[in-house]
Amino acid sequence: MLALKRVILFLSIAFFASTVSAQCFSFAKNIGKSKLGDFVHDGNYNATILSEGEKAELFKTFFEGQKYRISISKIEQLPPIHFKLVNNDGVVLFDNKDHDYSLSWDFEVKSTQMLIVEMEVLERQTEDIISGCVAVLFGVEVEKDKKK
Amino acid sequence: MRSKLTRPFLYFFSILLSVSIISSCGLGSKKDKTSEEDKIVESVSADGKVLDDFKKSKLIFYSLPSPLETAMLIKRAGATYNEELLNDLENIDKYVTNKQMALNLGVYSADLSYTSLFDQTQSSIKYMANTKKLAEGLGIMNAIDEETMKKLENNMNNRDVMMDIISETFMTSNAYLTENDRPAIAVMVLVGGWVEGLYLATRLTNGSLENNKRLIERIIYQKLSLYTVINLMEEYKSNEEIALLLDKVNELKVIFDQVKIVNTSKVEANTDEASKVTTIKADSETYISKDVFEKLLDKVEEIRTEFIS
Repeated sequence: MLALKRVILFLSIAFFASTVSAQCFSFAKNIGKSKLGDFVHDGNYNATILSEGEKAELFKTFFEGQKYRISISKIEQLPPIHFKLVNNDGVVLFDNKDHDYSLSWDFEVKSTQMLIVEMEVLERQTEDIISGCVAVLFGVEVEKDKKK
Repeated sequence: MRSKLTRPFLYFFSILLSVSIISSCGLGSKKDKTSEEDKIVESVSADGKVLDDFKKSKLIFYSLPSPLETAMLIKRAGATYNEELLNDLENIDKYVTNKQMALNLGVYSADLSYTSLFDQTQSSIKYMANTKKLAEGLGIMNAIDEETMKKLENNMNNRDVMMDIISETFMTSNAYLTENDRPAIAVMVLVGGWVEGLYLATRLTNGSLENNKRLIERIIYQKLSLYTVINLMEEYKSNEEIALLLDKVNELKVIFDQVKIVNTSKVEANTDEASKVTTIKADSETYISKDVFEKLLDKVEEIRTEFIS
């Protein structure tokens, strides 16, 4: 009986993930992108379904002289997302836990670095788990001499 | 761009099984009645063991510098505009296979970003038209519709709007392919765009290590991006076309392996709470010999020529 329950849970999560993934594009486009503010979205699409307790990592090169805005968007029902920016040696450069779990932050690098955005959907202390769209978008600050 | 799903095999198997079982039970029609929010939220009860198993999974994304970001990097490095470097618009008729269309959707997207950043509005519209054709050829619906083209034409003198349109169309294509079970094609688009950006940057040096040192630095640091390109492609190398492309990209890696990037200080981060900005500092030194630089130029040109031919 227990085994059956486990299989059903896996099936449910998997089915859910497969059927709603397409919804994440509209979510990223309509909700995520707007949170980039004045920064220009780089055009990359990073969005998926995450569940409570689930983790994700995103590898990206941050170029010297560019100012980046990371904006993580999630459906309202999901618990807060803990995200950190770490380098290849695991040194934590930013932890949103120290900033009220803020999901938007700007970064400027003085020399080009490959960095990793580590994310984890926090858990509620309940028996059920919630899943939903999470989008991670990067904005790049536009040049000052922009043409109008 | 989305890349790697490290979930266990059971999870993948479950998707297939559940789609067939649950779909046949008519759940689809029930879902139609739910609100938009319901469609993207799900709650499932679970026991501890299953949860533990599920949480061990981890998604990994590799985000390449997009064509737009690359064009910005090129411009900020003080490079100039050279129309002769762009992939000829007439070449579009050659692209008939999915691989050719995908790679050149990336190539033309990079050219479009470059023309736009340098305010070459007439060229931007032409390159946008080509990306539209290739997107349609790949079956990407509504990536660039007539309204988008009109918006582009009406905002020819507003670079911000143009950049927004370019980024949105790129995201739409990428998302459409990824979410319609064609991630390998999506990867080809990204690789095409990355290679074209590297091609433009290398040619804009005019073969000199001295003319524009900032641009050279940008090129050297593509060694880091190459890591993400290769990892991304590794995930889809079961696709024959990706495997072949990966071989080419690995030839580039052999050259980049001879480029040196050395961190000379510990990385430090300072966060300004008020402005919500974190500044990351680390000193590093780079080195590329003339010989390696020339090899790199030749290899990038060779790969790019293969893509656009």
